[in-house]
Amino acid sequence: MATLRRLQEAPRHLLVCEKSNFGHDKSRHKHLVETHYHNYRVSFLIPECGLLSKELKSLVMDIGPYYSVKNLPLHELITHEFINTFVKKGKLILSLDKDTYEETGLQGRPSRYSGRKSMKFVISIDLMDLSLNLDSKKYRRISWSFKEKKPLKFDFLLAWHHTGTEESTMMSYFSKYQIQEHQPKVALSTVRELQCPVLRSSGLAGEPEEACSALEFFDWLGAVFCSADLNNEPYNFISTYCCPQPSAMVAQAFLCTITGFILPEKIHVLLEQLCHYFDEPKLAPWVTLTVQGFADSPVAWREKEHGFHKGGEHLYNFVVFNNQDYWLQMAVGANDDCPP
Amino acid sequence: MPATAYERVVYKSPSEYHYMKVCLEFQEHGVGLNVAQFKQLLVSALRDLFGEVGAALPVDVLTYDEKTLSAILRICSSGLVKLWSSLTLFGAYKSKKCAFRVIQVSPFLLALSGNSREQVLD
Repeated sequence: MATLRRLQEAPRHLLVCEKSNFGHDKSRHKHLVETHYHNYRVSFLIPECGLLSKELKSLVMDIGPYYSVKNLPLHELITHEFINTFVKKGKLILSLDKDTYEETGLQGRPSRYSGRKSMKFVISIDLMDLSLNLDSKKYRRISWSFKEKKPLKFDFLLAWHHTGTEESTMMSYFSKYQIQEHQPKVALSTVRELQCPVLRSSGLAGEPEEACSALEFFDWLGAVFCSADLNNEPYNFISTYCCPQPSAMVAQAFLCTITGFILPEKIHVLLEQLCHYFDEPKLAPWVTLTVQGFADSPVAWREKEHGFHKGGEHLYNFVVFNNQDYWLQMAVGANDDCPP
Repeated sequence: MPATAYERVVYKSPSEYHYMKVCLEFQEHGVGLNVAQFKQLLVSALRDLFGEVGAALPVDVLTYDEKTLSAILRICSSGLVKLWSSLTLFGAYKSKKCAFRVIQVSPFLLALSGNSREQVLD
């Protein structure tokens, strides 16, 4: 019986749905965007739109480069110079398997999701604290571990939010490590005759025959971005998926997808620009902004641990309504804490 | 209209369905399957391992690319383990050796629209 029960179990996942208004003082939208650090993919959908506005287009095209560095020794990230140049405040978080962790000789804690026998460990190093005390025992130990005991080297993806004008500092700083600059890939498309769920911003749970729920909408959005057919009959052999009801047909919708390593600050600017989309009257009742994290990132929001398990998903989606109400859906998989 | 009040709801395992991005690889080249044949293949994989009860599990092929034999499948969450294990153990189609590669699995279809593990740096 236990075997039969296990056959029907699927890993747990969490979906947090919030609704609020951008005008509320306590709205947490900025905080939640800016504390989700490792973003791989950003996409937005604008119903009843055939062409992107000049402002949105220039924002998208100018989302900023990211960099790749091969075989960068970890000790380079704890130097005083690196921390002072690039890190205002931050932590270096290492997610290691048991053997590597023991070989580093550093203190960490077992991963929350590694089961009874801990096979994964997390080491967290406060870089600001370290750089202020270069003579401390702690710094000497970490330095010894990274340089002599277990010299770890990794290929890194780097993105740097800088407010100054030193564009090429990163390229010159890591010039001896084969640093390369990359531009995020941008894909733009228009979908014709799209069936869109009808939503009511005041009701996350929807209402039968009046409005769809946040859960149904989240699934539908996935179907649109995966280019699934939204109009199947219930007796269709291939697929029975169809758009949740009630729905309305829109003549066209604009889809944009940006992939790379995208900074949360840039995503916040994009979100603000999408809010301004409704400064002038528009046919669209809402627009969406979806952000997907790297599947192998050690953290999701802030320092909340993220594990791959079977999917590695940690993503969030804004539905921005034309009255400045918004829905925020945050989704995580099995080896994740509840989103904040 | 007045601004909506703040509300937060946490759903634990709300998704009735799980989604799988899969790819079918044949040992020899040039084997083609249309979407109906692909769907039939899934049904026989389920039947081989779990009999008629397994074969009756409703599986939707949401997308299908005939060139690469890759698809996004939808299965009810309680059928995920059965479908995944059937695909894993499926070894031959019309005496031609083949294997399913499971590229991504998630209870959220939106998560399948991008895969950071497939990122290619120029």
